[in-house]
Amino acid sequence: MSVIDEDEALIAAVLAGSPQAWEKLVKRYESRVFNQGVRLMGSRSDAMDLLQEVFLGVYRNLHRFRGDAKFSSWLFRIAHNKAIDLNRRKRLLAGISVNAEWEADPLASFSADRQQEPDMSLMNSELNQRIVEKLSQLPLAQRLVVELKVFQSMTFGEIADVQDISENTAKTRFYAALKKLKQTMEEEHVLP
Amino acid sequence: MSCPKTTHLLQEYFSDSLSMHARKEFEKHLFQCEECRVELDNLKLTRRELLAWQDQRVPHWDRGLEIFKREHDVASKSTGLFSGWQWAPTVASFAMLCLLLLDTSVSVNDSGFEIYFGGSSERAGIDQSLAVFEAQQTEEIESLIRRFESRQASNNMQLLQAIMERTQQSTAESLDGIYVYFEEQRLQDLQDMHLGYQQLADSDYATLRSLQELAQYVSFRDVER
Repeated sequence: MSVIDEDEALIAAVLAGSPQAWEKLVKRYESRVFNQGVRLMGSRSDAMDLLQEVFLGVYRNLHRFRGDAKFSSWLFRIAHNKAIDLNRRKRLLAGISVNAEWEADPLASFSADRQQEPDMSLMNSELNQRIVEKLSQLPLAQRLVVELKVFQSMTFGEIADVQDISENTAKTRFYAALKKLKQTMEEEHVLP
Repeated sequence: MSCPKTTHLLQEYFSDSLSMHARKEFEKHLFQCEECRVELDNLKLTRRELLAWQDQRVPHWDRGLEIFKREHDVASKSTGLFSGWQWAPTVASFAMLCLLLLDTSVSVNDSGFEIYFGGSSERAGIDQSLAVFEAQQTEEIESLIRRFESRQASNNMQLLQAIMERTQQSTAESLDGIYVYFEEQRLQDLQDMHLGYQQLADSDYATLRSLQELAQYVSFRDVER
């Protein structure tokens, strides 16, 4: 049985009211969603909030899933939207303009937030911490594209579908993000 | 960046929908353009660095099972032996709260263990009060016993005196009665004895007359012969 078939079988069982099937379905994707949350939100606690909101969203909307697309694509569309919502709420609480963060460089404010976050110390490796630091210097729109392309191995077509943007826009954002990350790495090597 | 194709080509390079023809054209350009080649290598390196991410373990959470069960009206299944254990923390907390509120302490000594309620200073005060109260009670009881004993002794004396007086009276009356009785008996005996003697005398007289008559008869018979 393929992954897609297994997902569909589990979804059918979940809709029939099986808590075991629900638990199994969550277990299949929770690690991916959680790690995505850590990379997007920059902390484990925010990632946990995102994880819970994503699966609550999945649970509330599962009856609407028609199977036209892969369940994983549908799930990461929800995760994408929840990440934007969570990021917006976080920035509103911090008194930072949402639009300014969406397109502009959020480096200063995000870094300040991150440094105040004690949960960062729980990151399980220095390598992960460096990656989070680099990603945190990208605007959320670019961070989302990098997440979906590099870590979730989506095609630009799928990314365009998830983000409701054109494929070309997705490519442009991805390229801009990689360039920005490369530049950060170069600066890191020059200024150790 | 001097090459005008770099941006467009690198944007397309990571596309999965790049046609075979376009890929060949791209590789041909890379072979000729060092700038695009270096740029592509840097982007690949950046992507590799990102892919070095080590997955983090998900913290424990209930995976929304409680909401799922509640909304699907799935009764929480009894787990047999452990079904009642869900109340154990509540019971333990309540017991601890009671012990805390009552300021309970347990002391172990040679005779076993003792459970105290309240603070140790209060307990010492209570112990002292109890000792004083016990001494007062003992003293009062002893005083009562002494008074009771003295009263009882005087009552006994009075009673003995009364009994003795009454006994003396009754003894005197009894002696008089006995004396009269003995006197009556003596007189009765004297009478009986007198009567006996009289009867004996009468009997002797009769015997004597019989002997006289017998002697007369014998003498008469002798005469006749």
